[in-house]
Amino acid sequence: MAHVADTSPVLHRPTRPETAARRPHIGFEGKMMTPGLIVLAALSIVPFLALIAMSFSRVRLLGGVRLEPAALRNWARFFTDTDMWMSWLRTVVYFVLTVGLEMILGVAIALCLQRVLRGRNILLSLVLLPMFAAPSIVGLLGRYLTDSTFGLYAWILRSLGFSGDVLGDPTSAFAAVVLMDVWEWTPLIALITLAGLSSVPQTVREAAAVDGASWWMTFRYIILPAISNVLLVALLIRSMDAIRYFDIIWVTTNGGPADATKIVPIRLYETAFRFFDLGYAAAIGLAMLAFSIFIARMFVRLLDTRGLTR
Amino acid sequence: MDGDSSRPSRREVLRGALAAGASLTAAAALSACGAQGDVRRARSGDPWRQFAGATLNFISENTAPTAAIAANVRPFTDLTGINIKIVTLELNAVAQRVALDLASGGAEYQVIYADPYQILAPYRKGLVDLRTMQADPNLPKVPGGVGDFIPTQLDAAGRFVDPHAIYTLPYDAPTMIWQYRRDLFAKYHGRMAHDLGFDPTPGGDRTWEEYFKIAEWFNKNARSDVAYGTGHQARQHDSLMNDFSNVLWSYGGDYFDNGKKVGRLGAQDPGPCRLDSPAAIAAARFYDRLLGIADPASRTWDWDGLGAAMRAGRLAMCPNWHEYAATNEQVIPGKVDYAPLPKGPAGTANMYGGTGVAINANTRPHERGAAWLFIVWATAPATQLADLKSKAGGGTPTRTSVYRLPEVRAAEKRPSSMPNMLTASAVTQAWLPDRIGLRPKIPMWNECDTAIFTQLSRMLTGEASPEEAMRSTKKRIDRIVARGWVA
Amino acid sequence: MSTPTTPHPFTHRRDGPGRVVLKNGQAITAAPPGVPQSPLEASSRRSRWGVRVVLLVALAWTLVPLLWMLLSSFKNRKDVTAATPQVLFPPTGQNYRNLFTGSNNLTPYIWHSVLAAGISASLAVCLGALAGYGLARTPMRGKRHLAFWIISTRMAPIAAVVVPLFLIFRGLGLIDSIPGLVLAYLTFNLPFAIWLMSAFFADVPPSLEESALVAGCTRWQAFRTVILPLTKSGLVTTFVLCLVFAWNDYAFAVVFSGPNSQTLPIAASQLVTQTGIDWGQLTAIGTIVVLPMMLAGLAVRRWLVTGLTLGAVTGE
Repeated sequence: MAHVADTSPVLHRPTRPETAARRPHIGFEGKMMTPGLIVLAALSIVPFLALIAMSFSRVRLLGGVRLEPAALRNWARFFTDTDMWMSWLRTVVYFVLTVGLEMILGVAIALCLQRVLRGRNILLSLVLLPMFAAPSIVGLLGRYLTDSTFGLYAWILRSLGFSGDVLGDPTSAFAAVVLMDVWEWTPLIALITLAGLSSVPQTVREAAAVDGASWWMTFRYIILPAISNVLLVALLIRSMDAIRYFDIIWVTTNGGPADATKIVPIRLYETAFRFFDLGYAAAIGLAMLAFSIFIARMFVRLLDTRGLTR
Repeated sequence: MDGDSSRPSRREVLRGALAAGASLTAAAALSACGAQGDVRRARSGDPWRQFAGATLNFISENTAPTAAIAANVRPFTDLTGINIKIVTLELNAVAQRVALDLASGGAEYQVIYADPYQILAPYRKGLVDLRTMQADPNLPKVPGGVGDFIPTQLDAAGRFVDPHAIYTLPYDAPTMIWQYRRDLFAKYHGRMAHDLGFDPTPGGDRTWEEYFKIAEWFNKNARSDVAYGTGHQARQHDSLMNDFSNVLWSYGGDYFDNGKKVGRLGAQDPGPCRLDSPAAIAAARFYDRLLGIADPASRTWDWDGLGAAMRAGRLAMCPNWHEYAATNEQVIPGKVDYAPLPKGPAGTANMYGGTGVAINANTRPHERGAAWLFIVWATAPATQLADLKSKAGGGTPTRTSVYRLPEVRAAEKRPSSMPNMLTASAVTQAWLPDRIGLRPKIPMWNECDTAIFTQLSRMLTGEASPEEAMRSTKKRIDRIVARGWVA
Repeated sequence: MSTPTTPHPFTHRRDGPGRVVLKNGQAITAAPPGVPQSPLEASSRRSRWGVRVVLLVALAWTLVPLLWMLLSSFKNRKDVTAATPQVLFPPTGQNYRNLFTGSNNLTPYIWHSVLAAGISASLAVCLGALAGYGLARTPMRGKRHLAFWIISTRMAPIAAVVVPLFLIFRGLGLIDSIPGLVLAYLTFNLPFAIWLMSAFFADVPPSLEESALVAGCTRWQAFRTVILPLTKSGLVTTFVLCLVFAWNDYAFAVVFSGPNSQTLPIAASQLVTQTGIDWGQLTAIGTIVVLPMMLAGLAVRRWLVTGLTLGAVTGE
């Protein structure tokens, strides 16, 4: 999988040894990257180091922040906190449900959209709208729609015979926040999938149809393999944000009822900004970072192996 | 790569990067200039005008009194020449910004809406002891003196542990009382009295058991008028702790030993939690039973959702903050009346949720003086009277002298030009030292509060029995308190 | 480590004009083995109806909340919280009028949002374009790790990084200022912009630069006059996406903004007050927050695909 850039003589002139000896060699690409990387490093490495330091300290606030060494106390607490483990469990369920549903629905919508010939662009535009909405507004809107006194969806559910209260019952509240997230982000998956689908040549699908392949067969053996890379990218993009964003839960249930929607980011926020236990919050934050990097790595590795092994 | 061809390009790249960086630093420098430096003090004879030209930032929860102040701040600017910028946020966000502001060692917000539990207790050291301001001969005095503030409120909202130091001037005074539909209680009075065997008129003589029976009676007999007899603010939220505490105290339970003292003046270390006492468990059992017949949507409501449901006509009665009276009068005029909360085996308690305004201790001397002018003005009798009349809602006075004004007394009865005063007879009873409900004022309250309402929420969804809920709350609170507080 | 480096971690390969081959090189030229043969076109009628139903449901599911928000923003106090949802009602502009008059005028909020999001997105695009190009073309070893580090900075949990950032910004006097918000937004926009732009640049065949260099351009000139114009769509897409992310942010704004820099999502949360949520005004604000971003997003929809698929597929 050699790339043109590697073999191009013009782009890749060998460095003259005497220049390299005089100063460290960065190259044009390096210079291009420098300003962005410096800003990025300043904005990320310092806070990251601060986080590590904080996770081993007790943080005093008043009169300027000071760190008092606390050894492993925050980490010991992190690993023995049963409420925290429940939150992790919930986070994993939340993550699998939201991202899973978004993938399934997104692919389904994309498949259907692809069959439409006239007005596809308008349809796609309409379907895409939610992904541009501010999550905090989505949460507030969800609260408005499910309010048991005047909510439109609560009213519809009532007329369908569902008597409970959407955000009042642990199961339905959890389902509601999952669905709000799904509402907002399914369009993104649909958009990406549709792009992948359009790269599957029409002739191939037709050939399959002529061969009499059933719809499922065509999907399973032709379409799915062809778009699997795109789907992985979609998964990657979604999973990066799925654990980070908590605005929707924050404005709707704030973790309740009975902690049913208290996923780790909510617990982190609460530890940091309600209890101001910044040392413990730093430990939680680092664990969350490790978790999301682990997931992202997994997807990237999948992508890599697929890309390199043909 | 370092051939001749790349030299101009590198310069261009650098130039681009420099331009971006320079614009950032320039902007940073600009904003830095604005933030620093004390305000000027003018040498004028009028103590109110000595800081004319200053600008103060006031951070507040988005409450009715602040809405009224925000709508009415012009007289202050006219009086002093000081500009006030008001930032209103929900209470969590206020506490967050205040803590960060104090931690930064600066004073972005000179005037702070200091919730006694979320801000005063944990960050008292970041607030000015107002006695130093009172002692300053160049500054105006508190009109009527601090003795004019309702004594329980001055202690609860303004002090912490030390019975002399004053950190805030009481600014608002929401208190939970029994709100009920007077039209429905009038309509069904006879039938209810007959069916239930007691006089159902709400008041301090009713018991929580009777409250339960009245609610049940409405559920059974008045479905055409209201969906449910009672509703509660039982969302997994601070409001749930508030609602439960009324019952807890009236059953003789409490969070800690010496509850009255820990509530009124506060404590650094309150000792072991007492939620596992038989009285507390009995209270939890009753509360669980009560919520069993309440509107099921109660579990999604905080005070605000409950207020909206009451106004939408879903409920015959509910315990809620008295400052909702103004909105109630606006939406369903003449239909809601107010009484102190029912009593339990051990008496009655009406949760107090008042707050004072404080001055950030990181302020410079003149800034501090300007901030003092504002908090004195904002809690002055004349301002409180204006707030009562405000179209923007407004709170209720925290000063005894205002309640004695003839026009305020007249407003206690319908038709009232100050609808919040319709609650006056209920709240003045509720504020008596033995009836006011004061939650523990301890620095780690936020985390304890969260443990309490979370476990209560588990109880209400059937995940834990009342005993389990109380015991597990105690366990958590003990752990939190043992960890101590550093700020 | 001698694995050949690719121009972009996830790029595709272009075999020639008009022909598309996925990166994994799967040949999509014949049906795979094992597909049974049978008469065709039997279910096409039925499936067309299926498609229509699915799309209709999807459309209703996406649009009803948005339309309801729009509708509610024109309702008066009573209709907006009526127990039976009101579809026909006398419309009123009062909610919007209230937002722009009185003590809490929305205009400065809009202005702050526009400035903070606009400047942050522009900076992200500028820096992102430079770094993205560098990343796409660099022959350096371990660039895969560099790319991953860049994107991993975007995964940092907001609540955790906010505290150290706050203290740094405070030291620089950046709290409650537009530059502060701009920098805060860069923490998530910059990695995203670099990543996205590098996908766009990787899409441009290096042969173009080569010919430019042969014609006597410097590398910078080749970048500016040949490559950059080719990725205009990428620049616009990146800009709009960064704009959307910054505009929609709540978690950073709640910490870093102050009386002189409150943004629109903060304004929305301020309407959740102790004395009741004014849903009429809230839906009005929601509409104001959401509408411009939707329009901007739709304007670049066509190009979003290339960016978001990171070059795993080529065009349409």
